[in-house]
Amino acid sequence: MSTIATTPASATPGAASGSSDGRRPTARSRERFNWPATLVLLVCSLAVLVPLLVTINMSLKSDAQAVEGEAFALPAPLTFQAFVDAWQLTNFPRALAVSGFVTLLAVAGEIVISSLAAYAIVRNWDRRLFRWSFFYLLAAMFIPFPVVALPQVQLTGIIHLDTPLGVAILHIVFALAFNTMLFTAFLRAIPISLEESMRVDGATTWQVYWRLIFPLLGPMAATVGIFAFLGSWNDFMMPSLIISDPTLQTLPVLQNMFQTQFNNSYNIAFASYLMAMAPAIIVYLLAQRWVISGLTQGAVK
Amino acid sequence: MSPSSPPRSPLSRRGLLAAGGLLAAAGLAGCGGNGGSGGSSGSVIFYQSKREAIQYFDDLLGTFRKEHQDISVVHDIATNLSASFVRKNPPDIACQNYNLEMARFMERGALSDLADMPEAVLIRDDVQELVNWYPGYEGRTSVIPFSVAGAAVIYNRRIFEEQHLEIPTTWDEFTEVCEKLQKADITPIYGTFGDPWTVSQGLFDYTIGGMMDVRGFFQRVNELGEDVGPDSDTSFQKDMLKPIERMLVLKKYHQDDAASRFYGDGNTAMGNGEAAMLLQGPWALAEIEKAGSTEDLSCFPLPVTDDPADLKIRVNIDLSLWIPEGADRKDEARELLSFLMTPEVMDPYNKALLAMGTTKDAPPAKDPRIAPMQKYYDDAAFYQGASQFIPTTIPFTNYLQSILFGADPKTILAKVDNDFASLAYRS
Repeated sequence: MSTIATTPASATPGAASGSSDGRRPTARSRERFNWPATLVLLVCSLAVLVPLLVTINMSLKSDAQAVEGEAFALPAPLTFQAFVDAWQLTNFPRALAVSGFVTLLAVAGEIVISSLAAYAIVRNWDRRLFRWSFFYLLAAMFIPFPVVALPQVQLTGIIHLDTPLGVAILHIVFALAFNTMLFTAFLRAIPISLEESMRVDGATTWQVYWRLIFPLLGPMAATVGIFAFLGSWNDFMMPSLIISDPTLQTLPVLQNMFQTQFNNSYNIAFASYLMAMAPAIIVYLLAQRWVISGLTQGAVK
Repeated sequence: MSPSSPPRSPLSRRGLLAAGGLLAAAGLAGCGGNGGSGGSSGSVIFYQSKREAIQYFDDLLGTFRKEHQDISVVHDIATNLSASFVRKNPPDIACQNYNLEMARFMERGALSDLADMPEAVLIRDDVQELVNWYPGYEGRTSVIPFSVAGAAVIYNRRIFEEQHLEIPTTWDEFTEVCEKLQKADITPIYGTFGDPWTVSQGLFDYTIGGMMDVRGFFQRVNELGEDVGPDSDTSFQKDMLKPIERMLVLKKYHQDDAASRFYGDGNTAMGNGEAAMLLQGPWALAEIEKAGSTEDLSCFPLPVTDDPADLKIRVNIDLSLWIPEGADRKDEARELLSFLMTPEVMDPYNKALLAMGTTKDAPPAKDPRIAPMQKYYDDAAFYQGASQFIPTTIPFTNYLQSILFGADPKTILAKVDNDFASLAYRS
């Protein structure tokens, strides 16, 4: 959405300078009205806007109207009752707090622990132990959670990690392989001489990592953070299996109750989804700049 | 996201450190909470996740808490049951739909014996017997039926009266009714084949249940196990072919766009009086009511044979109560069970959610929309839906859908036999 909004603005100065010298009218007009591209982007934006519109539209309907299932009919008695119901049914504040706790821990943990692992591996690449531990970590990428779900459920139960904390830890561990790979690739590009100059000044390994490497890893940390946020905020399967205390369940799992075959409560479901989406949208708005730069970071590597 | 702005690193790093510290503290607090979640397991966990009834049971628990101030109850709507059994901390008591998946817990002896509870005696024998359609465990009474949902053909009384139609009691009468409706330009049956489960729980279950002995059939095929096939005495391809052919006869009485219509469309159409009949259970009636329909609806069992004595309704255990063997607080759970089994709790529930009582002295259903089923229910003229006994590993509802869309039933049923046999071989 933001790309579409900014394109015309950034195109205007170029077009203005083009018109002042008046030499390349074709190039100018192409730059100014790239109709095919604009149309394609407009159509693509519908893929996001239409479902969003339906969601908002549905969430403002009354029970009686929602049952009809007419996605585009405007809410006739406009009501916020669905939001109230969703709030109460999911015990929204508590669920939000639990989801937030898991997500924060997962994001922070994934960034810090994976970057530490990557730093250790890259700087000790000549030692067999570190090299093989890297391959060992990479091998973990072949094991998705569903495959080991059953033993995980038992294990977490035995060591009393069948809580949101346990879910956050599992998120960190399961993402360790991929994140470490991203960080190692990025770290190799950082010249060793930077580090050496710091060592000459008497910095310890920890200081080098914390004051030099970690800040330099920023763009990649943003990428990892975004994946970690989306992964843990939207996750359904892991919390539903791992968390045993029903009062400490995350939002997506609680929202599952809106999806039953016998009962259509689209209005309540969509109201609840909107409320759950809000934090993701807010995070995106705040971190937009880093999201875009982070994505390209990932692309070049 | 603070680490991603390298130029101002000292500041953001401090921020990150602070955040990290906070998180660590929160994590520790979480641990503390975990230790104290002895506090949460100090209360009885009551699992109940039937969406329509969540609010209802919430209110009930409020009443229970007032009466039993010493017991605290947590209403669990989200725990994954299988995972909780694996973890050996299942809910203390559950009030849940009973089906093949749930029956696995019973079969493996994970549910405690409730035979010694005074409430177990209150249940009608033929209703308690419904539980035993699934394999039990050492003669235990693992499950107490709380309410039963009866399902039959939902029909529009106004349309039937306007067209001077009688309730059909034989197959020929039924097809005649459909013909007459079609002549009068009224959709006889509203089909929602887009949702395969509506086919299996409606059309399929009604025709199978109306024609054959569902329980006997599944007992035989389960005994045969991997020997089920074209040459066995009992098989899907042999026994179900005739009912399925009748089911296909009914296909032409559905509206033209049935293939692309879904569950919700059917309810809307019935609510607006656009079709005369709908093959759905009482859950659909609740949805139609929610839309504020004024149509006069009622129901009758689908006749599939030429003998009116064969008329039966489809039932399933809408909600059943059970207490796991591994429950931490069995005594309190039993107290809650006794509370739920009082007529003051059961009767209003059945009335509100259009279900049928399970106890010997439960009052008959009075709501005109489901009252006609009471007679059959009292005479035990009922069957449980055949679709509920086919393991979900077999994509049966999809097979069924493809039969409706034109696949050869013989081939598909042979495939079901094959799937069933290989599943039995594996287990």
